[in-house]
Amino acid sequence: MKSFQTRVLILGGGATGTGLARDLALRGVSCLLAERRDINAGASGGNHGLLHSGARYVASDMEAAVECREEGAILKAVAPQCIEDTGGLFVAVEGDDEQYVADFEGMCKKSLIPARQLDLGEARELEPLLSEKLISAYAVEDGAVDPFMLSLDNMAHAMTHGAQSIRNAKVVGFSMGDGRIQRALFLDETSGESFEVEADLIVNATGAWAGLIAALAGAEIHILYSSGSLLVTQDRLTKRVINRLRKASDSDILVPGGTVSVLGTTSVTIDSPDDCRPTVAETDQIIEDAQAMIPVLATTRYIRAYAGVRPLVLSGESGDARSVSRGFSLIDHARDNVDNFITITGGKLTTYRLMAEKTADMVCRKLGVKAPCLTRTESLPASTMGRWTEPGLAPKSWVRNRDEDDLILCECEMVSRNSIDSIIENMPGMRGNSMLKAIGMRSRVGKGPCQGGFCGLRITGHLYDQGHVSEAQGLMELKTFVGRRWRGFSPVLWGLPMVQADLQEALYCGALDMELDHNTDDFTCEDDE
Amino acid sequence: MTKNDDIYDVMVIGAGFAGMAAALFASAQGLKVVQTGATGGIDFSTGFIDLMGVHPIAEGKRWKNPWSAIEAVVQDCPNHPYGLLSCDEIFESVALFTRFLAEQGLEYIGHTDRNTCSLTPAGTIKRTYRVPKTAWNGSVALGKKAPTLIVDFYGLKGFSGVQLVETQKHHWPELKTVRIQFPSGRGELYPEHMAWALADPAVQEKMIAAIMPHAVDVEYIGFPAVLGLNDPQKVVDHLAALSGKKIFEIPTMPPSIAGPRLRAVFDRGLPAQGVRTHSQKLVTSVKELDSGMFEFSVGTGAAMLPVVAKKAILATGRFFGKGLRAERKKLVEPVFDLPVVQPETREQWHEQDFFAPQGHPVNSAGIEVDERLRPIGQSGRPAYDNLYAAGAILAHHDWMRMKCGAGLAIATAYKAVKELTR
Amino acid sequence: MIFFDIGLTLALTICVIGIVYRVARWNGEWTSRKPQLSSGFLLWIGRAVKSLILDVVLLARSGRTSFLRWLAHSLVFFGFMGLLLFHAMDETVTATFFPFYESTLDPWQFLRNLFGAMTLVGLVLMVYRRVHSTKLRLLTHFQDWAALLILGCIILSGFFLEASKIMSPAVFDRMTDEYFVPGEVGDLTALKAYWAHEYGVVFSVEYPMDEETLELGASLDEDSCVDCHANTATAFVSRPLATVLTPVAFALNTSRADQVFWYFHVIFCFIALAALPFGKFFHPVSTPINLVVRQGRRDDLEGFQPSAVCRSVGMDACTRCGECSLHCSVAPAFTVLGNQNILPSEKLASLKQFQTGELISQAGLTAFSEGSRICTECLRCTDICPAGINLQDLWIASKARITKLAPSPNDLLRNKTATQRARVFDDLCKSSSILPAVTGLADDSASYWACVQCTTCTSVCPVVAVCEDPSRDLDLLPQQIMNLLRMGLKEETLGARMVWSCTTCYKCQEHCPQNIRVADVLYELRNTVAARVRDGGASCEGNGESL
Repeated sequence: MKSFQTRVLILGGGATGTGLARDLALRGVSCLLAERRDINAGASGGNHGLLHSGARYVASDMEAAVECREEGAILKAVAPQCIEDTGGLFVAVEGDDEQYVADFEGMCKKSLIPARQLDLGEARELEPLLSEKLISAYAVEDGAVDPFMLSLDNMAHAMTHGAQSIRNAKVVGFSMGDGRIQRALFLDETSGESFEVEADLIVNATGAWAGLIAALAGAEIHILYSSGSLLVTQDRLTKRVINRLRKASDSDILVPGGTVSVLGTTSVTIDSPDDCRPTVAETDQIIEDAQAMIPVLATTRYIRAYAGVRPLVLSGESGDARSVSRGFSLIDHARDNVDNFITITGGKLTTYRLMAEKTADMVCRKLGVKAPCLTRTESLPASTMGRWTEPGLAPKSWVRNRDEDDLILCECEMVSRNSIDSIIENMPGMRGNSMLKAIGMRSRVGKGPCQGGFCGLRITGHLYDQGHVSEAQGLMELKTFVGRRWRGFSPVLWGLPMVQADLQEALYCGALDMELDHNTDDFTCEDDE
Repeated sequence: MTKNDDIYDVMVIGAGFAGMAAALFASAQGLKVVQTGATGGIDFSTGFIDLMGVHPIAEGKRWKNPWSAIEAVVQDCPNHPYGLLSCDEIFESVALFTRFLAEQGLEYIGHTDRNTCSLTPAGTIKRTYRVPKTAWNGSVALGKKAPTLIVDFYGLKGFSGVQLVETQKHHWPELKTVRIQFPSGRGELYPEHMAWALADPAVQEKMIAAIMPHAVDVEYIGFPAVLGLNDPQKVVDHLAALSGKKIFEIPTMPPSIAGPRLRAVFDRGLPAQGVRTHSQKLVTSVKELDSGMFEFSVGTGAAMLPVVAKKAILATGRFFGKGLRAERKKLVEPVFDLPVVQPETREQWHEQDFFAPQGHPVNSAGIEVDERLRPIGQSGRPAYDNLYAAGAILAHHDWMRMKCGAGLAIATAYKAVKELTR
Repeated sequence: MIFFDIGLTLALTICVIGIVYRVARWNGEWTSRKPQLSSGFLLWIGRAVKSLILDVVLLARSGRTSFLRWLAHSLVFFGFMGLLLFHAMDETVTATFFPFYESTLDPWQFLRNLFGAMTLVGLVLMVYRRVHSTKLRLLTHFQDWAALLILGCIILSGFFLEASKIMSPAVFDRMTDEYFVPGEVGDLTALKAYWAHEYGVVFSVEYPMDEETLELGASLDEDSCVDCHANTATAFVSRPLATVLTPVAFALNTSRADQVFWYFHVIFCFIALAALPFGKFFHPVSTPINLVVRQGRRDDLEGFQPSAVCRSVGMDACTRCGECSLHCSVAPAFTVLGNQNILPSEKLASLKQFQTGELISQAGLTAFSEGSRICTECLRCTDICPAGINLQDLWIASKARITKLAPSPNDLLRNKTATQRARVFDDLCKSSSILPAVTGLADDSASYWACVQCTTCTSVCPVVAVCEDPSRDLDLLPQQIMNLLRMGLKEETLGARMVWSCTTCYKCQEHCPQNIRVADVLYELRNTVAARVRDGGASCEGNGESL
């Protein structure tokens, strides 16, 4: 069995894990990040991509509101490439709680969160799609953040400072001894290979899976899994983030992200974080609820849905997910008699840096390292790894730097062969299995209207041509890729997406027979002359 | 007074396999036929004519003999549209259809009672009933695992010879590939444009010259289906003469050339049989006249025209063909607003797994018909005496997984015409 | 008869001068494309005869467009030719071939009515067609109505002339004065009674209608009149018309209506004769010539290069029937853009003016130049033209000269390289505050909602098809432009050569399985840039390159 050594082993490649890797690396602490699937495969990739101004939490959680305000300002300064400073609106429509509306401005003031009241005409001029039944509107300093670019840039920066990372690494157990974890045991689910990692300290940054991982070390964390679904529209509907001015509820927020808008979310308690997937019922619920705010949401074309699971750490035994704190939990498992094991979970994308900082502080304290946190001031450099996730970048770059033989492989988002080759080049440590999925995660491939229907086939062909995949592996990857897109695609199948899906199935199943098992002898066709 | 005001015997709504077949069969009966339909299934066809291949789909059981498969599916799913036809009728319909194609210069080949294996552009192998003659050598080469060279081109996306060789390498070790520059044109290439270019014998010669050094030890050469648009067999024959090898085509991703070839055949052949075609136009509304005839509004805006017909065949296909429309809560049939047999809620339309072997329930939704292929209305009886339905719009089949798309379309169109003339 | 002679001379003079003038202009500057291949003379004659019989005499090409149109044309054609040959030119034609010709004898009297009635029915059908068809109404011009009116007046005045003659006692008197020698007193009365009874003459006094008198009248008629006068009953239009007019016969007769109608009839005929060389009136001459000369070939497909004269004859042969416009594949663009020059029938009229140097207004030139560019060369207009005009050849052969004399902003841009254009746009964008915010189809994301990314638009594009390296020569392909627009990256598309190379053939739009208005969007993009160049060009002067 392969064995690796490192000082700090970080489990989980979401925003917190990658942010922590960078924080530690900048402090000179070597670390290895192990991710079960790929960067942001969990909740870090399954959220709105909203950089909270804090105004959403002014009523429920003033501490969180202040944290958001501060962290938002820091991120805008140090990682501008990941953020679109769109500004945001809080709007109420007829029928919304007028008391909440009346109290809003005062509550914002208390948390020092800038909020400017707009007259309704001005608000609708800024965002023409807002409902005519608007009764109140405030401008706040919300922004949109590209969580994929953020995590990829964090990881890339960490790696330039000596951090390492492994994908497809599922923790299957810990070997315990002397009140500490001796070794962590891993399984690469795509290749079936096992390996182990020895570390001085292990940080469990697995988000919703934190409880399950902690249990492997005999520690106990009670986590409520709250699945939230979101919808992606084909177009960018608004310039700004639009929040519903009411007590935090479902389908409250519409966030623009490059060329699309993201609408959500719901809150459904599920039994296991692995069960998280968007459903038809949630999709309908979101649309029916949100159209009061923006009527066009009832008729616009949706591209897909996705879901993320919020890890809500229960302090007491409370049932409702929204009333549980959105603040994060940092747990030193010394309390569970595991000395070198820390869990960080909960929190928000907006406060990921703070979470990483606090965790790194604890790590350093435990390791006896005296180095200050630099992430508050040090710029996060843009990486080549993260850049292709920006919507619109691939086409712009392709149009402006035309290489005559550079073909567009993903038509919807206009990702060219050169862009894809550049993505592959920039993931040396990640080559090997699930290439197509990795490319999808690191670019806009598969995220457009066709949802992998055409681009999947074209890129698979290219991967074969380049020798990145061989035998039937490419086809299997394609099936996995299309299957994965289907999770988000299937809940929005009515109207035009249904037409798209019909075409896609006609292609994959009707024409290519890809649903059938092709490894049987039946397919040698030797009886045919 | 003008042509548009004429009364037709039959209006065929749809220009996919079913619509084309219905127009063909009806005009062959001497009926005065008018046909409408936008770019439909036929333009996106791979060019293969599937009859019946897989049943039960949940087991992924493949059948070598399509007739046994049909027998089995009718036995197990009595509602399957094939249950409305006899095997003789199905056989006859496909025979008539392919004979027409052959007369128009697009010959199809296959066994009487056996499906033929063919390579797909993904590298998988598909069983189908009839393949275009230009693809036939590919099936033969595949059966013999003969030494074969797959040629692909820089700039033609979604067709990788390496992919075909890699996926087949354990079964077909003597398959190899070479990628060459397309002899006429470079950069991003599209099958239709390549096909036009390759109609030129000089271009063919240039291409063969580039291939021959790689083809010394092979018996067959396979190309993506770009070998000419209107007379592919002539191109294939010339390439064979030039190279001394057996030549075949492999379909490409849609829009491939197979669809336009079929469409061209019908664009030529149907008007010659007296069919009045309003291509690229959809029926926007229909009303029943006092006489019982239908008056259709075809097209939109300034180009809208009325069409009056005594009878109609609804062959509008499924969602892509616009025969069925999915609203957020239910499926509807947009032309006649016929009842659509469907799962109760949208949650039940699709399985969680795209490749779920049992298939998605929504694919078995569709129009219910009586034994004469007349759509059933709200009352449970035929909605109209003079309306018939054919093709993929019919309920109780999953053509994509059962591999019965073209066959079912052709056969039900045949049956609908037969019933309509009774 | 001085009036007649002067009138005829005048009309003929105008006609002859007009024809000479018109024919003299049967020339012009055209671009020649291919060397002319000569076909065998005998073959040519054979085809010409065939065309003469089928297309000219039987109007076969009209028959292909609509039965109603063919019927109306055939009626007018045969009716009017009958009148022309056997009536108007009776002295030269009919009398020559039929030595005992008298216009008042049958079958001539009957035939005259038949021909007149045919023509009239044809004209009514034509009017009905123009009023009934909304599409045609859009294309109907003053000349069409004028032609119908003049022809109608000739026929109607002819019928009225004949009717008034039938009932006129004055005419009867003139006849009896010259040709009737009464044997006995009472003979004339008997003859008058007989004529009033049988021939429809309306005398100012009533004559006895007893059997005896009529019998006598009949025998006198038999002796003196029948050699020259058939019973007017065979004038199956004029005679009933006379009967209808009986109540006002006295007034008509006393005012010598027969002479008045004669003047009308003759004047209308002269007008028609004089108008012959002008506008649409010339088509009875030019269209047959064109049909016989061109014989409905698809010239370019058969290696035939028409001469300048052929082309001019073709232009003159246009009757502006509008069939081409009804069949034109880019006619939808007309509904969007409203530029009449997009429609072949209108484009041809402008082209004629352009070729003869009559089109001089800048606005007219711009509209013509723009409209003339929108053509897919689908050959539909040529194939359908009832006059057998090779419209497509005219479009192609005139292109170079139009581009030279009436360049559009599009051409100016097209002649630049992509880099140069990009610089122009950049300059324009810098001053974009002064530009109108254009919001149209291209900016509306809903325009692309239905796109399923199948790339059919590019696959069927004839412009892409003829490019050796489409991505190099066109910058962006149609579906790429649609995708960039969908993503809101409009600026990236404006300079693309595809936008400027689009022939607006509408194949993309017609083949799109999702009905996305690809061609309309491309055209709008072109207009967007053209508008920017126009509106922003001034402010950009000295700011980089000026256009």
